[in-house]
Order: sequence, then structure tokens, then C-alpha cells
Amino acid sequence: MASRAFEWPQRALPLPIAPFSDLKRWLTRPLVGALSLVLLAACQPVRPVDRLVVAGRSRIDSVDPAATFSIGAMQLLSALGDPLYAISPDGELQPRLAVAPPRLSADRLTAWVPLRQGVRFHDGSRFDAAAMVFTLERFLAIGKLSYLLGDRIASVRASGPYELELRLRRPFTALPQLLTAVNLTPLSPTAYRAHGRRFLNERFVGTGPYRLTFFNDQQQRLEPFADYWGPKPANSGIDMVNLSNSTALYGALRSGEVDVLLSTSLEGDQQLSLHRLAAAGSLREGRGPALEIGYLTLLSDQPPLKDPRLRRALAFGLDRELISQRVSHGLRPSLRELVPPTIPGSDPQAWPAFDPAQARELFRQAGYCNGRRLSVPLTFRSNIPSDRLFALTWKEQLARDFGDCVQLEISGMESTTAYRQLGKGAFTAILLEWMGDFPDADNYLIPLLGCEQAEGNRCLKGASAASGSFWTQPGLEQDLKRSESLEGEERVALLRRLQQQVAQASPYIPVWLVAPRAWARPNLQTPRFDGAGRVVFSRLQKEHHP
Amino acid sequence: MSRRSQLLRYGASRLLLGPVMLWLIATLVFLLLRLAPGDPIDALLGIRAPEEARAALRQQLGLDLPLLTQYGQFLVGLLRGDLGASLTNQTPVAQVISQSLPASLELGVCALLLAAVLGLAVGFSGIARPDGKLDLAGRLYGIGTYALPPFWAAMVVQLVFAVWLGWLPVGGRFPVTLLPPTGSGFYLFDSLRAGNWEQFSGTVRHLVLPASTLGVLLSGIFDNALRLNLRRALRSDYVEAARSRGLSETRVVLRHALPNALLPVLTISGITVASLIGGALLIEVTYSWPGIAFRLQEAIAQRDYPLVQGIVVVVAALVVVVSVVVDLLVALLDPRIRF
Repeated sequence: MASRAFEWPQRALPLPIAPFSDLKRWLTRPLVGALSLVLLAACQPVRPVDRLVVAGRSRIDSVDPAATFSIGAMQLLSALGDPLYAISPDGELQPRLAVAPPRLSADRLTAWVPLRQGVRFHDGSRFDAAAMVFTLERFLAIGKLSYLLGDRIASVRASGPYELELRLRRPFTALPQLLTAVNLTPLSPTAYRAHGRRFLNERFVGTGPYRLTFFNDQQQRLEPFADYWGPKPANSGIDMVNLSNSTALYGALRSGEVDVLLSTSLEGDQQLSLHRLAAAGSLREGRGPALEIGYLTLLSDQPPLKDPRLRRALAFGLDRELISQRVSHGLRPSLRELVPPTIPGSDPQAWPAFDPAQARELFRQAGYCNGRRLSVPLTFRSNIPSDRLFALTWKEQLARDFGDCVQLEISGMESTTAYRQLGKGAFTAILLEWMGDFPDADNYLIPLLGCEQAEGNRCLKGASAASGSFWTQPGLEQDLKRSESLEGEERVALLRRLQQQVAQASPYIPVWLVAPRAWARPNLQTPRFDGAGRVVFSRLQKEHHP
Repeated sequence: MSRRSQLLRYGASRLLLGPVMLWLIATLVFLLLRLAPGDPIDALLGIRAPEEARAALRQQLGLDLPLLTQYGQFLVGLLRGDLGASLTNQTPVAQVISQSLPASLELGVCALLLAAVLGLAVGFSGIARPDGKLDLAGRLYGIGTYALPPFWAAMVVQLVFAVWLGWLPVGGRFPVTLLPPTGSGFYLFDSLRAGNWEQFSGTVRHLVLPASTLGVLLSGIFDNALRLNLRRALRSDYVEAARSRGLSETRVVLRHALPNALLPVLTISGITVASLIGGALLIEVTYSWPGIAFRLQEAIAQRDYPLVQGIVVVVAALVVVVSVVVDLLVALLDPRIRF
């Protein structure tokens, strides 16, 4: 029977063609629908000329400077607001909304900051000392990082229409550096009056080169502020987008969907690929100052690393160059100090370089290598890919160079869980990173070494205990306090001496430096960074060919 | 008792059990969060904050109160419909959910429609010649889509269609160069209502890849379910009886076998909808889709207790509602169901 199109297995009944034609119809309709959708999808929205799309990874929960301190939010705020002072890419302090460095009283407990006149907030209201007082008092009252300010500043008041008076709790040399913090950017008292004691998450009214005209946690729109007091932005606006996935970000730049990509949290392989593309001329790569340090914390009050010879042996036994190459292909340069090299007080050779002979000798002195092998548990944060790579690489490097002396037992732990247990002395060794809230040496040393209560070399309470090393030494806390009030060469010398003392005891081992990077499409100029490691949005622009 | 009364009684009993289930889930999530290692204060302030600042924030957020008091406050809030505020930025949890749930529902509904159309078409296409080439291809399709790891599949689709071919956006829910439509939070609906073609096409462009990936991955479930049930139905006595009455094969298949084969598929759809509401996490992460599953994952990482509790309770409530509706529909459509 020629007309039989279907045949059922149970019985060969004649079947008309109807079901097949039905089937064709059923299949055709969705296919036509799908095709229409694809055609619809091909209608790409037209992108305005000179508006740029910048992509980053971190989602921005809030644009209130008192509520947030994530890297993404700080990047956004740096385009919307102005600090009193700023750090230039070469480390120089520059007045922004202040017009000169602070003037200090004879006892150095009062500082007067002269403010810029003629500056307007985005809502048109006037910036003056009263607005700055409002901002600082609000931050002291509800800021998540209020302790940064409250620990050093007792009170603020307007000593004149354009002069701010700060009463300090103790002499504090790094006051201008503290005032570079973008969290302290002035807010319009008019706009924030109803939010004096609560966060305003979705609006921002400051003095910066851009106004925030749209905000949600994935997308933000910045328009140039017509009444900006400084140089006008070189572009006609920025659209910021936050994508959660590193591959999506990488793909968005490659496909031309975004113009500029920020390196924050981008995975190492993709950073390397973009770096190579930039080297080949297919992209533009900008690099900011390296202010983030990666370091190992060693538990110094419990065996086995209570023995300083073993800590020192590990410091000698860490082949940073190899690890930098294997983990980051050299994008994270090796680091042998706790203070980043661009900050006064750094000592680039405070910690020893890789020296296998010296390391082996110290292991021997501590009773290992002669048929006895030291076992060191190393914890890495399992949600951070570079940490895992570091742990695996160092384990193999130690096995290669000191297989008869030491072995690493590595295990991963989710970061938030690890942080909770850090101050309980749960980790013999753990890899962490740190970036100071403002660029000053104290901001790197005190959070790692500060100690309020000690017993010999053991810190019972304070930053050192909270950081998981529990190490201190007599006189260290006093020296740290003293460095806050010293100035110039005297301070630099003290900071270097402190680092050398810490290196001798090695409760921490610096590993690498992380510098922020940004990649731009080839039709844009190379992205530029400020001294705090943020891309200067107002300088982003397309190449204009004659 | 009439069948209608029985059905109403059945529906009422299922609905009455809903609040009990929600209470159990809310209690469980409250306890599990507190038992899990990690501290929201660490997530909020970092590990370097001084103890005084940590204590002050703990007090401000009410995390210093006894566990029983916190639990009581949580339950009282729930009864009032107040889910609390996010620890991260004090935004009301209800607001966060109202922003991210429509995104998940929009993606889920589109993916489910695609999965149903595709899966049922593929499942149905093989019945003409069981064990023939088309049937074999359909079976392979069903197993293949079911077995594909969603994360990998999504990344491959993303790389091919967004990065290499550049046809569609890599991720996100809306073109960054446009402003999203305002209203219900369902962008398709809102842009259509506003009559804004640019917004609508932008929404569709962003929806195509995640919805297609999720839809294709889910379609295998429908394909397998329809194939097995249709085959069983075609061997049943009532189909035999229909054929012996001389009905055309088209009528036998479409009017007698297919409706019966679709009943279990309806149940599967219900389960799939329920799992989609909170379960499309990997797709949401890969495509940076700002949905509820993605938000939940972030809230867990930040130990944002009120937000995790709120999302879990709302998703659980939706799952309860959907499963009750599906159960009632199945009971209504299938007279063989006994209560």
C-alpha cells in the first residue's frame, strides 16, 4: 500500500497521511516562531557615539559611601564623587576639594582643611564646610568603616564657610591619605537630609564629574555633570554593567559588546589571554598601581610553626618567581615585603629571596630532614582559583626541593567560613590578601601586626590575633603607634626597621602583588588609573583619527 | 460524597497543609543558617575590623539577641508579611525579591514553554516508527539533553553564539545602553505594555540564549516522558477498542492516546516549574541573569540571614502553590484519580 506513511509495531493498520501533516504543522509553527525570535534578536540597539560601556564583575548593592566598600562600588563612586585629596599615579598627594594640605596646630591634635569654593553638588546645591561636616558625621554615625575615621578623629566642625576643622584623637601623619578615601566623598545635605541615619542605596548626589542617572545592581548610567568644577569628561557618558561570570566578561569584550573591561576578579587565564591580545595590539591594556598584597599567615603560637626557624625556613623555601610564573604567568609579581612598593616605607627586600640551601639548613637545625619530615597543613580559599593554584604549586615545589624535609597538606575552605575561624587559630598556614583602605604603610602593618594585649611573643588580643598569626614582640605595638605620628625620613626608617624585624620572625610571608588592569577595545585610548588603583572614567575616550 | 465535593475537600486539605510546610521550611532554614560556619559580620566588615566595631554592628543588626528571640522575631515578621531587611545594605527583603523573582519567572516560563514544545514534538515524532531512525534520534536527544552538564552547555552556547558569532549578547538581562522598562519587573510584558519596540527586542535578545539553553536541557524530560507514556497508551485496551471501532489512526492517536499520555507530563511540568523557580542557578550564573537563584547564592555567601530566609520562604511558598495547582489539575482531568 503506497499511501502508508506510518506503521505501528503491534498491528499494520493503514494510516492516513493526516498525522504526518499535523506533525509537520506542529513542528513548523514553533520553528517559524523561533526564527522570528532570532530575527528579532538580530535587531541590535544602536549605541550612542562617545558613550562607553564599562564592565566589571562585582555586583553593586549600594551606591551609598557609608554602606559599601566593595571594589566595584568604589570604582563607581570615584567617578561620581570627589575626595578632599587624591593620590596621583606616581604617589603624589593632590588637593581636590581641599585647596591645600591640612594646617596643623602646635600639638598636632587639630587640623584645618581649606576647601575649594564654587563647587556644586549634582542637585545644584553648594559645597561648603557645612556639607563636609554633614558627610563626615553621617559616616561616623552609620558608616560600615566608621572605625577608620572614628579611631583617629574625635570631632569635626566648620570653622569657616570653607574651612573644616578636625579634632584628632592623637597626632596622625597620614591624615591627608585617610581623606583620600572615596567613602568620605561629600554628599549633598539637601539630598541626604532624610537619610542622615540610614542608607540611600540607589541614588547618589555628590560633586564628581558624572551624575548617576540610573542605578540597579547590574547596571548603572553615568552622565557628565554640566556644572563640574574640574576638567569635563572626555566622553559623553558611561554605562556600567556588572556580569557575574568571568567568561561572560571576557566574551563581552572580545565580541565588542563592552568597550572597557576591569580586571577585578577576572580569572587568571582570561587575564593572561587579554594581556597577550594587548601585546599583539588587538586591545589596549592599562595597569594601575599594585596596592593589593597576597601573603601567607603562619600560626606562630602553636607547634609546629611556633619554632621561628621553621617559619624562616618556609620563607627561604618559597620560590616566588616560579609560583608567580606558574599561577599567574608573571602577571602577579613576587613580593618580599608587606608594604606595596609605591608607598613610602616599603622595603622591597625585607623578606629573604628563595634560598634552598639556607632553608634546608634551618629545617636541619629544627630537627628535620634526617629521616624526619615536617608536615604543614596549608589552607586555601576554595572559591578563589588563584589560591588553589598557589597551594598546588607550592606543594609540588616544596616536594621537589625539600621532599625529605617538609610536606604540605593542602585543603580548601570557602572564604567566609575561613575568615570566621582565622582568629581562633584554626589554620597552621593560610593564603590571604589585603589592600589598605587608603594608601599608607600603617594601613598594611597595623591590620597584620597590631596587638592590644600580649604575653611575650604571643598576641592575645588585637589585629595580629584576628589575622591568625598571633605573633608580636615587645615594643612592636609602641613602634606602630609611633609611626602614626612620625614624618618624613624618620618615619620611613622606622617602617623599614619594623618590616625587617617581622621578616626575621616571619609570622607572615609575602607572596605576590596584585595590580589592577583594564582592557579597552582598540578604538579607545589606553585606560588610565589613579593612585588608588581605579580607572579614571572621565579620561576614557575613543581615538580620534584626523 | 460527590466527586466535586471530594475534589474541593482534597484541594482544601492540600492548601491547609501549605502553611505547616512553610513553617517547617522556615524553621529549618533559620536553624541551618545559624549552624553553618561563617559570620555575617565578617562578610560585612571584613576580618580586619576591630572588635568594638563588630560588636556595635552585631547589636545594630540584632544578631546579638538570643537565638530564640531572633527566631520569634522572624516568625512574627513572617506572619505580618515582613521578611526583614538585608544585612548588606538594609534594603527590605521583599524589595530584593520583587526585583529578582520576575527575572527568574520570566526566564523559567520561556524556558519551560520551549522545553515543552521541543520535548513534546521530539517525543511525538518517534511514534510513527518505534525503534526507527527518528525514534532513535529522539531517544538520543532525550538522554543527551538530560545528561549534559548545564554549566558546560551554557558556556559552550555562550561562546559560540555570543563570542564567536556575535549574534546575541553574552549575558545580563537587558542592553546596558538602554534603560529597562518600569512596572511589574517582567521586562517582556512591561516593554510590550509600554509599546517600546527597542526595549522589547532588547529583552528578547538577552532572553534567547539563557531560555534556549535551559529549554533545550529540560526538553529531554518532556521527550522521554511523552515517548514512554504514549507508547504505553498505544498498547492499552481502550486504544485497541478504538481501533476496532474503525476510528482513523489519527483520531486514535490524537484523541485517545495522546491526552492520556499527557497527564503524567503535566505532573512532570509541575515538578519542573517548581525546580525552575529556584533551581536555574547555573544558567543564571553563566549568563549573569539577575534572578532569584543567583541572588540566593550570593546571600548565602554573604551569610545574609534575612535575605536567605526570605528567598527560601517565598520560593517554598511558590513551589507549594504550583504543586497544589498541578495536583488539582491532574485530579480534575483524570477521573481515575482517587482522593
